Amino acid sequence: MTKRFGYLIVILFAAVAMALVACGDDDDDSASSSSSASSDARIDDDERPLVIARAMDTLNGDPHRAFCDTCQIYISSVYQTLVGLDFSDNTTLIPRLATEWSASADLKTWTFKLNPAAVFSDGTAVTSADVKWSLERLANLKGSPSFFMDGVASIDADETHTIVVHMEAADASFPAKMNAPYTAIVNKALAEANGATGGEDAETTDDAEQWFLANSAGSGWYVLESFQQGDSLRLARNENYWGPSPKAAIKTVIIQEVADAVGQRQLLEEGAADIAMQIDPDTARGINSDDVTILSVPSLNFVYVGFIVGTEGVVGSDIDLNQNVRQAFQAAIDYEGMIDVLLGGDGRRQATAIPNGFLGTANLPLPTRDLDKARELLAAGGYPDGFELDAPYWNTNVYGVDFNLMLQKVQADLADINVKLNLQPLEASVIFGNLSEHKVPFTAIYYAPDHPDTVQYPQYFAMIEGSRWSGRAGGNKGPIVSATQQDLYERALLTDDLEERERLYDLLGREMISDAYILPLANPNLILAHRSNLKGMHYSGCCNVELGFLYRVKE
Amino acid sequence: MGSYIARRLAVTPLLLLGVVTIVFVVSRTASADPITSLVPERLLGNVEVVAAARARWGLDKTAPEQYVVYIKNLVQGDMGTSFRTKQPVSRDLMQRLPATLELTVTALAIAALIGIPAGVAAAIKRDTWVDHVVRLFALIGSSLPVFWTGLILLYLFFTQFEIAPGPGRIDLRALPPAQVTGLYTVDSLIAGDIGQMIDALHHLMLPAFVLGWAVMGIIARMVRASMLDVLNQDYIRTARAKGLTSRRVIYTHALRNALIPTITILGLSLAALLTGAVLTETIFSWPGLGSYAVEATRTLDLPSVQGVAIFAGGLFIVANLIIDITYGIVDPRIRVS
Repeated sequence: MTKRFGYLIVILFAAVAMALVACGDDDDDSASSSSSASSDARIDDDERPLVIARAMDTLNGDPHRAFCDTCQIYISSVYQTLVGLDFSDNTTLIPRLATEWSASADLKTWTFKLNPAAVFSDGTAVTSADVKWSLERLANLKGSPSFFMDGVASIDADETHTIVVHMEAADASFPAKMNAPYTAIVNKALAEANGATGGEDAETTDDAEQWFLANSAGSGWYVLESFQQGDSLRLARNENYWGPSPKAAIKTVIIQEVADAVGQRQLLEEGAADIAMQIDPDTARGINSDDVTILSVPSLNFVYVGFIVGTEGVVGSDIDLNQNVRQAFQAAIDYEGMIDVLLGGDGRRQATAIPNGFLGTANLPLPTRDLDKARELLAAGGYPDGFELDAPYWNTNVYGVDFNLMLQKVQADLADINVKLNLQPLEASVIFGNLSEHKVPFTAIYYAPDHPDTVQYPQYFAMIEGSRWSGRAGGNKGPIVSATQQDLYERALLTDDLEERERLYDLLGREMISDAYILPLANPNLILAHRSNLKGMHYSGCCNVELGFLYRVKE
Repeated sequence: MGSYIARRLAVTPLLLLGVVTIVFVVSRTASADPITSLVPERLLGNVEVVAAARARWGLDKTAPEQYVVYIKNLVQGDMGTSFRTKQPVSRDLMQRLPATLELTVTALAIAALIGIPAGVAAAIKRDTWVDHVVRLFALIGSSLPVFWTGLILLYLFFTQFEIAPGPGRIDLRALPPAQVTGLYTVDSLIAGDIGQMIDALHHLMLPAFVLGWAVMGIIARMVRASMLDVLNQDYIRTARAKGLTSRRVIYTHALRNALIPTITILGLSLAALLTGAVLTETIFSWPGLGSYAVEATRTLDLPSVQGVAIFAGGLFIVANLIIDITYGIVDPRIRVS
């Protein structure tokens, strides 16, 4: 026994010694990427993998079932949609698989012409049959992104390159929806061979979800090489890429799971990663290196608080959260201070639940703090002495905003008008369950756009039939519908005249400000931190970042 | 001994059934709806999507019906499909286990390698500076939170001194070795890629040390206390009186008996670390079981939670069994009784 124990000691010492020797080795990759870019010569067939450090969401590789931020990056790199988005303004639609599109006079029929040069990564042509099948599968799976096909009555595809989409009602926003990555066009033959179905029974017959976790069937810049949940996603350049933008310059892209901002920053500074995607402003300010470039760009994301007027069994259920009370909250919040406290100034105020930059927001009045007005409104609402209210919220950190800090700031601001908020940080599964059970009178959530059309915001936030917040805000009292908002929304869908749509969305925005069910707190800037020799970095409204546009320059 | 092991193995399925049942009941009493893990917040109001998700994942059935289906599948080796990863839970566990195994076994080896000699030295040199240093080192290791130690050491050795690699199991740009065991150090060796094996070891050392330090502190203190106890026993005095060398007395007579409680700690630590190395795995971006378990719990991924519980339960049962067998090897009196 003594001799065996002695051998064990020797073996363990040897293992430690080997490891210590290994620790002494230099990291060649880090060294080679530590100098800053000195010229602007683009490297076209770049063998050095691009490493993106980010906390990956619950990634689903199936574009017609996925719905998350990382999914947007992945899908837009591997698949293509009919329509693209010019990320220089994040509003202009550009050709992608479709070269052109047009609507019937009544905006009920949309016709898309496919680019005949388009091919999938296996070299087979992208046909109108692939488009029809993909869009029908998206609808019939009844998955998370199926709502993009809401309002579609039927799809016709000819034998070549024309697709005709028939809508149930006029919809001027339909081409914009066809820019969302989830409307990706999938190689029908390849997907079907691996269990995918697109028919009306796809919800129960489709068996391809796991196949999509290890394979891809698109026509984008990259193909999926490997994916390990909780570890990394590896993409290889699609050598059959056809266009319409140039082929990707970097041959391999790795999205590496790094959960926290500090870890992402460390990897970036050392050159082990090329992009740190979720660095908050405070962490970014700590970076002081010529080898790293920090961009703070306006984003289309926002964080907000919302009211639910029909609740039961919580503190505040007996409070009448009427329009005066809601407007009192609106006037009591210190928005400028909020942006300073939460984002170190790297953000903007936002007028209503339509982010700055979207059609109809240019002339909307930004919220300001006015405590006297807030107290008057609270008194007019029936609560001159204030009240107490439960505020359960999702304990999370998104877009560099710590929700704990944000709600503490709201709590402090509302204390100035004698409203006491009981903050209750909860996990997502609990808070959203409580919301369904009408146990949340006041809470905070966030929103990122799905496509470049303003229509998605009234469809989610406005007090119109079928909107998420129309049902939610009413709580156990039933949906709240504003006839004015409903009318403005429907009229906006009926016209493709941009000026008229802008006017209608402006009016709708003012109505949403006035009803004050949703109070946007901040429109945070996106912090893009990357190695200085990496060029083409941008923020895309549809896809976060479109990897095919990134390239390195010679140092 | 053989019949004892057989008896223990025979009751294992019953113990596991108990674990499964408790976890199943507890997870169903949580004040949250698992549908929130399957449908994004923005679509929870979409009745069609929610109904489709409930039907697809069996959440439209009553809890007893779900339990019966689950047990039936489990008997056939099917632990269900994860709500999050959309993969079979057993596959998820097998994918995550090697990373955690590699980390925890190395951590435990480091802990034992340093902790046992340190505890022996502290006992022999009681109340000298050696004893004080060992006790301080042990106290710091077992007191400091792992997340703090991890972040500080990562900052010092990766960012400042640049002698340790960053997070991850190997260089982020490198392709992992072809999977045989899932242990990168072993697989790279099998592939004949010594450079990658050194890289894997290089990445392993810092997180393993961070994880091992906490256990090391406990081991050192345990060995010290046991050694002090044993060194005062009559048979040690007898051994010394027989004229045995001090080295022989300590390593042959004293340490062997003092190790019995330490073996318990080592066994249970391995089981605990395999499912509990959450913070270290998070800080070092280590794709292991701990982070899987936490993420599953946080998102109410019920099949994964149940899968991890069964795995952890089985692990503790096996660990206890091994500890008992090892007792018998180390101390013949136990074997006889």
